Amino acid sequence: MNKELEHQFVSELENNQNIVHKVCSLYTNDRDSHNDLFQEITIQLWKAYPKFRGDAKFSTWMYRVALNTAITLYRKSKKRVKTQDYDSVIFKIKADEYDDTQEKQLKLMYNAIKQLGDIDKALVFLYLEDKDYSEISETLGISEVNARVKMNRVKNKLRTILNP
Amino acid sequence: MMDELELLKKDWNNQQEHLPKLSYDQIYKMIWKKSSSMVKWIFYISIIEFVFWAAINIIFSDPQSMEELKTMHIYNIMMVLGFLNYAIILYFILKFYLNYKKISVMDSSRKLMKTILKVKQTVTQYVWFNLIIFTLTMIISLYGVILYSPEGQEITKSASEQASESMFWFLVIVISVVFMAIILVLIWLFYRLLYGILLKRLKENYNELKKLEV
Repeated sequence: MNKELEHQFVSELENNQNIVHKVCSLYTNDRDSHNDLFQEITIQLWKAYPKFRGDAKFSTWMYRVALNTAITLYRKSKKRVKTQDYDSVIFKIKADEYDDTQEKQLKLMYNAIKQLGDIDKALVFLYLEDKDYSEISETLGISEVNARVKMNRVKNKLRTILNP
Repeated sequence: MMDELELLKKDWNNQQEHLPKLSYDQIYKMIWKKSSSMVKWIFYISIIEFVFWAAINIIFSDPQSMEELKTMHIYNIMMVLGFLNYAIILYFILKFYLNYKKISVMDSSRKLMKTILKVKQTVTQYVWFNLIIFTLTMIISLYGVILYSPEGQEITKSASEQASESMFWFLVIVISVVFMAIILVLIWLFYRLLYGILLKRLKENYNELKKLEV
């Protein structure tokens, strides 16, 4: 039974690992911290897994646990304070698909997002993952109206970072 | 701006192939690793605090000094304080355990932060109660020692011979208040530092979410 649960969990996570990687790349700046956070999220997911039991989609449940771990439970290691080193980070823009200006724009955008606070990052992340406001509000524990208000503020913040 | 965000969204959803890909075995190994989450830190620090303050109390109430307490006429009040202290320790351990159990990574971010802060609050309250009891014990012992112990009586006697007795009591009070204040400030600073490092980010994030809901 236990073996079965392990197998179930690991395969589910293997299939959905992109979600966790994206969270890690938002909240960390280098490969070591990325792996460190990935591991902590995996541990937290596994600990909570017996209570999960399919009342929501595995991926939906993952968003919450992954973000909670990144924002609240994970203890920043000193390595994370390093200045952003974009070549080593996962976001690699596929140059052939975009023209130069677009590539530049994207780089600036990712740069700007990296400068946001923990909560703002979570909002941008959920937005980019196409989550609706009801899911965003439930994940963060704020009302839907406030999620919208906050999202607009984040967009404004990004705007000021991009056009100082 | 909207165009930029749309462009970003498109790119975001296309980044799959650039993300690392861990194998089944790599993930399997990870689930047996030890967590180093902040909840664990808080748990261990809390346990140390419970043990530390309980130990201080046990050290201060060994049987030998009980006899001394009787001769100093402060036995009864010390017994009441001791009993009160144990009751408080038990109450806090229970409260700590119940609050700790409530921490769930499956809650919303705001609720998770709130429950963690509540656990920490319980421990802080526990420490303050202990400090109050500790200070009271110190004051009562000092009073007992000066008034009833042979050494104390000698000191008061020679003090009243050489200088005024009121001056002597004034000095005793000033010195003990300063001494107590220094100890309390040191302990307070230590906790500020400890929890400051541990909980700064959590508090900032919690306040950010809370601010929205007002």
